[in-house]
Amino acid sequence: MKVSEGVPSGRIAEVYNPVLFQEHEEVIVFAREEFNRTYSSIREQIDYINKVDMHLDRVEEWKLLGYWTKILERINILDINMNLMFKKEPVQCYLDSYLYDTIRNSEKKIAVAGNSVSVQLKHSI
Amino acid sequence: MRYSYGIMDERKILLYKPHLFLKGNDLLIFPSKDFHKWHGDIKEYIGGLYQINSINMEKWKSITISELNLAVGVLGNITDEIENLFDPKRVSDSSYQYISTIDEEYTKRRRQWYTSDMRRCDMRIPVKPEITPWQKHHNMMEIIDHAARELTMARRKKQKKLTEILD
Repeated sequence: MKVSEGVPSGRIAEVYNPVLFQEHEEVIVFAREEFNRTYSSIREQIDYINKVDMHLDRVEEWKLLGYWTKILERINILDINMNLMFKKEPVQCYLDSYLYDTIRNSEKKIAVAGNSVSVQLKHSI
Repeated sequence: MRYSYGIMDERKILLYKPHLFLKGNDLLIFPSKDFHKWHGDIKEYIGGLYQINSINMEKWKSITISELNLAVGVLGNITDEIENLFDPKRVSDSSYQYISTIDEEYTKRRRQWYTSDMRRCDMRIPVKPEITPWQKHHNMMEIIDHAARELTMARRKKQKKLTEILD
């Protein structure tokens, strides 16, 4: 999808990539930080369900009874997050994902270039 | 979440609700039509997941491995959609748009008996309640009451036996 960043100045918002959009095209504008929170919360839920799925042994079907409720809880949060995009009120899980984000202050980034593999350690405040 | 529609006008955006954003805020701008389409697609997949769960709501039926596989597959589609949000090459297919008509009943979070049982196991009961003189007396009276009841029962049995023998 076409996407651009921008900054507001009064009634008008300046766009960094105005070429992407056509003249008189209707656009929807979000605050980037808030959108980031919701988006990362969605990613978090998907990762969780994938992890549960990966660790579940397919032979042990009886375990599914317990795991399914956990998965469903995450699906619920996913649904809430999607609904949140067009709602005015903030929701608890929005805050949770934000708190979770602040804990991870260092991350490893692995970039593959040709044959050599370089590991870059990035520290953010 | 704060959001506003706007319109492109001479390479700038005229915001419909400019009061929502502060001056220093960074903004993310999407074409509204494509964004609604993207949102609808994900809602459709989530609706699918709820549909899989609807089997679980009937009594004596629960999810099987094949249904879990199906759910994970649907989740894969959601992941695709989520990741493609920032891909400028991807053009959304606007031939149809999904509007969720799923019954609210299916999306409700119901009491999960498995986890609530587990929680009950974890719950702690206060071990030593304070013993007051009233409680002490009450407890004693309870014991006496119990003993008295037992005694009368025994007496009645004895009397019954006696009357049987006499008859």
